[in-house]
Amino acid sequence: MPTVTIDGKCVDVPRDATILDAAREAAIWIPTLCYHPALAPQAMCRLCMVELDRGDWKQLVTACNYPVRRDIVVSTTSDAAVRARQGVMRLLLARAPESQPLLALARRMGVEGTPYPTVSQTQRDCILCGLCTSICAEVIGRAAIGFCGRGQTRAVSAPFRQPSEVCIGCGACAVVCPVGTIRLRFHEDTNEIEISPFKTRVKLQPCESCGGRVAPVPVVEEVFRKGKIDVEKFRGLVRLCPACRRKRAAADAAKAVVCEAGPMYRTAVGEPARRGGAAPGDVAGPACPAVGDAPAAGAARGRSSARRKTRAPRRR
Amino acid sequence: MTVAATNRFGSPADLEQAREEIRRRTRPAARSVRVCIGTGCAAKGSRRLYDLFRQAAHEAGGGLIAVEAVKCVGCHGLCERGPIVVVQPGDVLYQQVEEPDVPEVFRETVVGGRVVERLLYQDPATKARARTAAEIPFYKAQQRIVLAHNGEIDPRSIDDYIAFGGYSALAKALSAMTPEQVLEEVEKSGLRGRGGGGFPTGRKWRSCREAHGQPKYVICNGDEGDPGAFMDRSVMEGNPHSVIEGMIIGAYAIGSSQGYIYVRNEYPLAVEHLREAIGQARERGLLGRDILGSGFDFDIRINRGGGAFVCGESTALMASLEGRPGEPRAKYVHTVEHGLWDKPTNLNNVETWANVPAIINRGGDWLASIGTAKSKGTKVFSLVGNVVNTGLIEVPMGITLRQIIFGIGGGVEDGKAFKAVQTGGPSGGCIPARFLDTPVDFDELTRLGSMMGSGGMIVMDEDTCMVNVARYFLNFLREESCGKCTPCREGLAQMLHVLDRITHGKGEAGDVERLEEMADLLAGTALCALGKTAANPVLSTVRHFRDEYDAHIVDRRCPAKECRGLFRYAIEAEKCKACGICKKNCPADAITGAKKVAHVIDQAKCTLCGTCFDKCPFDAILKV
Ligand SMILES: Cc1cc2nc3c(=O)[nH]c(=O)nc-3n(C[C@H](O)[C@H](O)[C@H](O)COP(=O)(O)O)c2cc1C
Ligand code: SF4
Ligand code: FES
Repeated sequence: MPTVTIDGKCVDVPRDATILDAAREAAIWIPTLCYHPALAPQAMCRLCMVELDRGDWKQLVTACNYPVRRDIVVSTTSDAAVRARQGVMRLLLARAPESQPLLALARRMGVEGTPYPTVSQTQRDCILCGLCTSICAEVIGRAAIGFCGRGQTRAVSAPFRQPSEVCIGCGACAVVCPVGTIRLRFHEDTNEIEISPFKTRVKLQPCESCGGRVAPVPVVEEVFRKGKIDVEKFRGLVRLCPACRRKRAAADAAKAVVCEAGPMYRTAVGEPARRGGAAPGDVAGPACPAVGDAPAAGAARGRSSARRKTRAPRRR
Repeated sequence: MTVAATNRFGSPADLEQAREEIRRRTRPAARSVRVCIGTGCAAKGSRRLYDLFRQAAHEAGGGLIAVEAVKCVGCHGLCERGPIVVVQPGDVLYQQVEEPDVPEVFRETVVGGRVVERLLYQDPATKARARTAAEIPFYKAQQRIVLAHNGEIDPRSIDDYIAFGGYSALAKALSAMTPEQVLEEVEKSGLRGRGGGGFPTGRKWRSCREAHGQPKYVICNGDEGDPGAFMDRSVMEGNPHSVIEGMIIGAYAIGSSQGYIYVRNEYPLAVEHLREAIGQARERGLLGRDILGSGFDFDIRINRGGGAFVCGESTALMASLEGRPGEPRAKYVHTVEHGLWDKPTNLNNVETWANVPAIINRGGDWLASIGTAKSKGTKVFSLVGNVVNTGLIEVPMGITLRQIIFGIGGGVEDGKAFKAVQTGGPSGGCIPARFLDTPVDFDELTRLGSMMGSGGMIVMDEDTCMVNVARYFLNFLREESCGKCTPCREGLAQMLHVLDRITHGKGEAGDVERLEEMADLLAGTALCALGKTAANPVLSTVRHFRDEYDAHIVDRRCPAKECRGLFRYAIEAEKCKACGICKKNCPADAITGAKKVAHVIDQAKCTLCGTCFDKCPFDAILKV
């Protein structure tokens, strides 16, 4: 394993790990914008410049994609490295001077504002980091959005700057966007989700039980296609909103308990009603006491808790 | 013309036998006509001349001159004087030949052996007429290796190429040399890449040969995106087989069985000639399986590029070949290890490849004997701008700028003073008069803040504003930037903003330092070489012409009187004929004058629009 000496600290990393990996190992912070651990590094933003000491000469390199192949000496604090990172940040700030997330990162880097005027037009502060296009292509497998235009006119859009025909409305782009350019909008009237600013609209699947929002229809289809789980029970669950899904799970669990408890109790909690032909998508028979909430309240509570649950791992 | 095309060469001996045969058949060409059909001449109607000469030969009955002896050839280099026609007997070079001249040339020179004086090249200075190419100063100081047969062979005939010794280097490499020996020969030659970077070709080949992974690819970079450059185009159009032969030899040395030629789509003639040449080479067993019976397989495919400048950059080119957007990627891992489709890939420029057959035939030591300590061989330049003879030249490394510009180029046009020469393409730099005696090679040009680049050479006279030149190239690069990385995309726009301000007379104190700071940032942080070198035009002009920047910023004056608003117009009383045209056309009513009275410009009213300057029929308006 090659050793990276970074700001005087030594860390061993596997061959072809990046300088950024080494820095994180050594608990040294290097600002990044276009880097995401789930994606191949594109090294577009150039914010993560560090200085590589090659003995007789020094070279600025991007930490996020420089592969470590032998023992190297790196400085994140040298004059040249700091100047390079701050310079790039000032150029980015000229592009999006109002962006609060960018300003916050700039402050953390010791940059207060920019001396440069704004000369590039942007789409709602987009800094062209490319995370959205990468996640759409690499993780979601859609490539619904990409770069169009060249140089200063570069922008992210679906082909021909029209709404995308292949977007499934999953919103992954909005999640990775570091500056909040991409937003999700709900259109209650048409029951659609819009990925803004790409103007793509996708129908939402109503919950088969309560009518609330589940997910965009193509996402549900994608889950079936990708999941390759052809179990009716799973299909049923996917067509429910998170709240109803919880209720269903609870009901199923309750039923299991009942089964074990013996035949007498089973009749008491409405086994006949179930046999009487409830649809598989139905959450629970009316007689099930364990899940007897009013649907609306349950849905509301369920949604908020589900959100909490999905966000938690991201913060880690 | 291709004759008896079916014979596939099963061995080097077959090739030699065919060569003898072709030579025997075509040797007694006491009379011949060679019409240039390079893009420059073709644009002036040379294809029609070719048809007319053939028709004339046909009508003459064939006894006098074989129809085949009228042939099309590639670019001679003197494109500005085209169409060029060279006639035997006498090797007479005619320039600016037009359709009505054909019967006369045919009657007088082809049949009669007499010279048509008025079509000969005339030296603009001495007025002396030159009969042959060798007598024209433009050709005298040249040394042609890559362009040796441009203008002699028919680019559409493999037989012609073979007659001139073509594919003998390939035969030699395959039959008498190991790949290692080929490599050593190229290393010994000291050949450095002609596409811009000047990387030692032998070392690149060796890295690719030694890289792990199969298959390996070789690529020819025929993207040539520099504005005004046409070196590679002329080679691909005029001698496509030389590029193909070089590639086969390289592939043999490297251990590759698939090659690609990436040509820009704007070069239809190059594509056509390459395609024909590849077809002919396949037919003869010079491409494909078991080349010349050696057991070595190799084939070439042509890809046409969309013509973005950045697609000439190696990683962008490979992305484009793979069908992805032509954008560069980091090169921390070199393309010789992970290139096209992640496989070891060797990319060389057209001219680099075209040097290879000569190296194999004549030996690496021979090439190494030409040129300077670290730059060997020759270099093709396209000499353009304010110079008397514009065109394509090939000169030995180490020749001075003065020899090129004043010897070959004939000096500055219209008797004006020389100011600077821009070399290295858009991201090159400007070299002022005091360095005219610098020997031209990779390292010297870099030392002067410019570079060799792919061989553009633009001569600028005293009326050129160097700040404006920097602005022009910077703007070109800004427009060609792919926009992938922040410093190039945003930095070039910021630099242009400052340069615009300076050339509009609104420069601020500290602007030059601001430009230098941004240039430094770009050089250190941009992703690819386009961005890293994009500030060169600014840096080199600041370095050599700082006073012009200061004149713009401090004095609000453009010394070359090119930047509108930074000079004034005045009427020279002696020249003014009081015709009243300026007065009538001035949109600001700033000109006063009467019949027979020299006119005057009221500077307070003048908006500096320049209308009077353009309209005056007597050149009486001065820029002051
Ligand atoms: C922006 C940019 C444009 C380039 N354009 C060309 C080109 O048009 N033709 C070319 O041969 N090389 C071009 N190059 C250089 C190539 O990247 C590469 O170095 C070269 O083709 C390698 O061949 P060589 O070693 O034979 O010179 C360009 C480089 C950059 C950065
Ligand atoms: S330096 Fe310019 S051309 Fe090169 S990747 Fe960056 S933006 Fe594109
Ligand atoms: S994070 Fe490394 S270049 Fe963007």
